[in-house]
Amino acid sequence: MARRYDTRTTIFSPEGRLYQVEYAMEAIGHAGTCLGILASDGIVLAAERRNTNKLLDEVFFSEKIYQLNADMVCSVAGITSDANVLTNELRLISQRYLLQYGESIPCEQLVSWLCDVKQAYTQYGGKRPFGVSLLYAGWDHQYGFQLYQSDPSGNYGGWKATCIGNNSAAAVSMLKQEYKEGETNLDDALALAIRVMSKTMDATKLTPDKLELATLTRHDNKTFIKVLPVAQVKTLIADHEKKEAAEAAKSKPPTTS
Amino acid sequence: MYANPNSIINPSLWPNGPAPGCFFNFPGNGVTPSTSNGGIITRTQSPVTTGTSILGIIFDGGVMLAGDMLGSYGSMAKFRSIERIIKVNNSTVLGATGDIADFQHLQAIIEQKVIDEDCADDGFTLKPKALHTWLTRVLYNRRSKFDPLWNTFLVAGIEDGEPYLGCVDKIGTAFSDSKIATGYGAHIALPLMREALEKKPQMTKEEARALLINCLRVLFYRDCRALNKHQIATITNEGVTIENNIQLDTNWEVANFVVGYE
Repeated sequence: MARRYDTRTTIFSPEGRLYQVEYAMEAIGHAGTCLGILASDGIVLAAERRNTNKLLDEVFFSEKIYQLNADMVCSVAGITSDANVLTNELRLISQRYLLQYGESIPCEQLVSWLCDVKQAYTQYGGKRPFGVSLLYAGWDHQYGFQLYQSDPSGNYGGWKATCIGNNSAAAVSMLKQEYKEGETNLDDALALAIRVMSKTMDATKLTPDKLELATLTRHDNKTFIKVLPVAQVKTLIADHEKKEAAEAAKSKPPTTS
Repeated sequence: MYANPNSIINPSLWPNGPAPGCFFNFPGNGVTPSTSNGGIITRTQSPVTTGTSILGIIFDGGVMLAGDMLGSYGSMAKFRSIERIIKVNNSTVLGATGDIADFQHLQAIIEQKVIDEDCADDGFTLKPKALHTWLTRVLYNRRSKFDPLWNTFLVAGIEDGEPYLGCVDKIGTAFSDSKIATGYGAHIALPLMREALEKKPQMTKEEARALLINCLRVLFYRDCRALNKHQIATITNEGVTIENNIQLDTNWEVANFVVGYE
């Protein structure tokens, strides 16, 4: 049985697997969905809000989307407390770079740095890995708009569109079919995000309190990171439902009388 | 820093600070070596081999640095081919006044930084302002430990298409300007540079070079730790050129008018 090789992160199993890392990814598979889409003029991040309990005191503007620095924003999926530690560290790394060099840290360098930390937890110290996957959306002057994804193993990749969390595989295959590279602007990306989220989220009907949307854009040499207000999310959902209804009506054969 | 043996009986007024009724060893005296380092004094008490002024000026389309190639060992003109102006990358140049060993130590670190950047191969290169900011942080942190790098640095280069000239001193004071001179140059050459720039704020490359050469000449006449062998570095959008071993024509006839000169 593999049980003997489970309990410590820093050892391989006989088949050459790191079980703790895989179990961490398993934990993320049960967490609220997050997806990111790269558009020609910006990036869209969408996240499923699970904590919709009415008793919750509305302290935080956003549950899963965090601004890291002037040019980057991220969304998290997994164990929330682990995510808090990582986002805090990402913010500190950004500020240290800003203090040392007087300019914003390049996107990939920030992702790479944190992933080195995550990898260290799979190799040294006998501590468990972080049960968090992150989607990073950012801009720098070298590569423009970028979308990255990292997981508990410390591996990261650059993406045009991707998804993490619950039902992420279904979402990614949907994105693969529907994402049009070079022909997607921010509005297209927002509509696509809603379409995909409605299929992958648990709820039968999309409501603004269950969905968080954020965009990252550039105007006048500055980066603008916006978490969309409830009204705008409502409008986008309404547009989506109208389109769905139109699609349904088209496919239904006309009733003969 | 220095452990106070009476800290329980007479607690110090602030951490590592004086305790009333006790003898207080002021930090920075170097009289008592810290035991934490095996009893060795690691701070730069005073510079050993030094370089004198560096001049920097922004002209229309770029920036120029000039300085002599002397490493003085006190009053002895010991090392006469020291490169005090170095190329960092295709858009940045660094010049240093002060202790040559401290400069060369930082030079090695900066060269390694450029290599690491090359290895990362992500298209990002060190820009002049970023180097200036980094240098400021390093120097300020060293001075805060009472172990300064005994230098004044001039960072020159092209930042986003615009010429940039910045200065940092050993205590971490940083600023940028269109004309900067360090060491004796600040007293002797800077007024000459200011006058010229006031007359013509956008100088040509040739005018800037002529101005700096004139200032170097005046410095050779008046600064006793200067040498008649110079480096001139020019940075434009086309790149970096550093000319070494430039010699100046000097006229010492005026020495005959000095009383006591034979």
